[in-house]
Amino acid sequence: MNKDILLLKTLLLSTSQPNIYRHTQDKKRKKKVVAAYIGLSCLYLMLIGYSVAISIGYASFGMFDPIPVMCAMVISILALVFTFFKTNGYLFNFKEYDMLMSLPFTPSTIAGCKFLYMYLKSMPWYLCISIAMMAVYGHYTGAGAVTYVIWFVLTFILPVIPMLGASFLGFIIAKIGAGFKKNNKLIQTAITMIFVVFCFSLRFIIEDMFRDDKVKETLNSISAGTDRAAAMYPPIRWFADAIAVTSISSMLLLAGISILLFSVVFKIVGASYRNINSAMASHAAGKKYKMTSMKRSSVTRAIAFKEFKRLTGSVAYMTNGAMGEMLAVLFGVVTLIVGFDKIIHTVTQGAPIDTVILQPAIPFIAYFFIGMVATTVCSPSLEGKNYWIVQSLPIEKRTLYKGKMLFNMIFTMPFMLFAILCMCISARASVIDTIMYMILGIVLCAFSTAWGCVCGIKHMRLDWENEIEVIKQSAAVAIYMFPNMFVCMGLIVLTVVLGMHMSHVLLSLILTAVAAILALLSYLRVMTLADK
Amino acid sequence: MGAMLEIRNYTKSYGGDKKAADNVSLTVESGDIYGFIGHNGAGKSTTIRAVVGVLDFTEGDIYIDGHSVKTESMECKKVTAYIPDNPDLYENLTGIQYLNFVADVFGISASDREERIRKYADAFEITSSLGDLIGSYSHGMKQKVAIISALIHEPKLLVLDEPFVGLDPKATFTLKEIMHEMCGRGTAIFFSTHVLDVAEKLCNKVAIIKQGRIIASGSIEEITEGHSLEETFLEADNE
Repeated sequence: MNKDILLLKTLLLSTSQPNIYRHTQDKKRKKKVVAAYIGLSCLYLMLIGYSVAISIGYASFGMFDPIPVMCAMVISILALVFTFFKTNGYLFNFKEYDMLMSLPFTPSTIAGCKFLYMYLKSMPWYLCISIAMMAVYGHYTGAGAVTYVIWFVLTFILPVIPMLGASFLGFIIAKIGAGFKKNNKLIQTAITMIFVVFCFSLRFIIEDMFRDDKVKETLNSISAGTDRAAAMYPPIRWFADAIAVTSISSMLLLAGISILLFSVVFKIVGASYRNINSAMASHAAGKKYKMTSMKRSSVTRAIAFKEFKRLTGSVAYMTNGAMGEMLAVLFGVVTLIVGFDKIIHTVTQGAPIDTVILQPAIPFIAYFFIGMVATTVCSPSLEGKNYWIVQSLPIEKRTLYKGKMLFNMIFTMPFMLFAILCMCISARASVIDTIMYMILGIVLCAFSTAWGCVCGIKHMRLDWENEIEVIKQSAAVAIYMFPNMFVCMGLIVLTVVLGMHMSHVLLSLILTAVAAILALLSYLRVMTLADK
Repeated sequence: MGAMLEIRNYTKSYGGDKKAADNVSLTVESGDIYGFIGHNGAGKSTTIRAVVGVLDFTEGDIYIDGHSVKTESMECKKVTAYIPDNPDLYENLTGIQYLNFVADVFGISASDREERIRKYADAFEITSSLGDLIGSYSHGMKQKVAIISALIHEPKLLVLDEPFVGLDPKATFTLKEIMHEMCGRGTAIFFSTHVLDVAEKLCNKVAIIKQGRIIASGSIEEITEGHSLEETFLEADNE
């Protein structure tokens, strides 16, 4: 068997749930595998439903051409973003690096197979989107069998270029980080975050460019928006042309450039692969430490410190765990510079809204970022193989989880308060309102911490192969993050509506009380779970 | 006997003031059982990981069967087997799936792999567990699977990092027997250990590394000069 295929097959088998189901003797584990499949199926169905709804939305207005463009755009964006966050952990700095590198595989083979592994694992998501949109498009346009075949085949090619782009960016970041002998993890995290912030800013810069060109009216139409995307990123246009006019040249271009880029990227990555991984796994040894007087701290604080070191010791964890905090600070600073009014004006596309009525939503706007990820969601699982350490120490589980929660509070509160303060200053909120919003912000941090911990404990998974599995892809993260984000968006609207009918101070008091009760209930649930 | 492993002026720096390995040179010939001894953090694992092509290095070169690890790493890996001190294997594969994977990598025929896996799995008394997930194995069992996977392709050079850690007494004895058998067939064995007693009885050559530098190397007789290896090591360490 070809070595590339052999390695890829083994990588897939090593995380295959059916393989675990077939060979494990643990009935509880078998049940978990089944539950994971049910959960995954639900998520696939939700994605299919969402894609069908969007496509019908277009088709019902007679706009058929934007459907393939939208399909290509959504898949490309998802592929770019998901791969970018997964590169460090899947492509570099993975656990079985020593074992694989000691076998007769070239670095390019290992890197290429790791990429293809990421590609195949994420393919079902892209297929859900694509097949759903293809079905709607085919139904409304009466497309022939050839269109279905082209669409289906190109779905497998479409994510390759954005995934390669994201991998290459991850490679560049890792290479830059590897150049710093000390603190290379911090450097990599900083560069990653700068890149994400740059992407966010780019969106506004591009919008401004178009506005300056006086084509606002055109941009307001949905189809023009998708056309703009297709013009900016040619693979979307190639995909759309292949579907709409059965353009063979577009199909060949998409396939050819994907294959060409794959070989070029992994030739480059392979050349520096060992160097980067060596640097990432290395630690500078100064051996200069001298014993000094030591300080004693409580067990809870000691655990919180351990959590801090765990966070800062992993690029993947830090990038995901601190992204919300980073964005909250950025948002706060931007509101101070640009003005709360202008930002609301931009977000609402110039709707005539008095920003005073939006003030009660300030804590929830900050929470939208801060509550995106709580470290308590993944930290129980992140103990992984080190779980024996805390298990063998005379630490009650209550104390362990209290330590984890303490860290998340210490970590999130300053960012939350900073973001709220910036927005309040910019929105010219009164002193009493500002104080109330800050109190509500703290209570929301407590809720996020405790509820995150409940999700983290309930769906704790210690047998992961790669920490990305529990940082980004675990059931705990999905159960915590998605409802949290949607409820938060709903609460932003609700507070604005309620704020129009009652005093802002009273509204904040009520919301603080509700959030405090929910935080307390979550905390008590953590304690109950700890005792089990 | 020709040189199977030749380390020439190997230096590895992590960027701090200290070098993890400093101008290390040694030669392991076919049929040698070469012990590599030193304190924790002396540079043993750093050297071993560079030998097997896992870690890049700053200066010098390493040759396996005449091929440079730096420029012909694939040629080197084809004749080398490595057993790390803490085997990180694929936890969600069964033992037999993992062994099959390694056998496939080295292109071992079905009959040869079956014969070798059976031979070594029986010797390590792990045959009945090969159908279980590696994640369910104890540390010692994982170590045994890692050892079998290293032996499956009959390497010319076997590199082991603390191979006896975690093995039960019977498995330790079995591994020593296998090492002797391989050495008789002309395989070169290079391994690190803290257990000086084992090194003294098992090896024909040793090197002592301290703070990244080789402070003594050669045959056991040359190094010990009639003393025990433990006495020699402690004396060299105090200098």
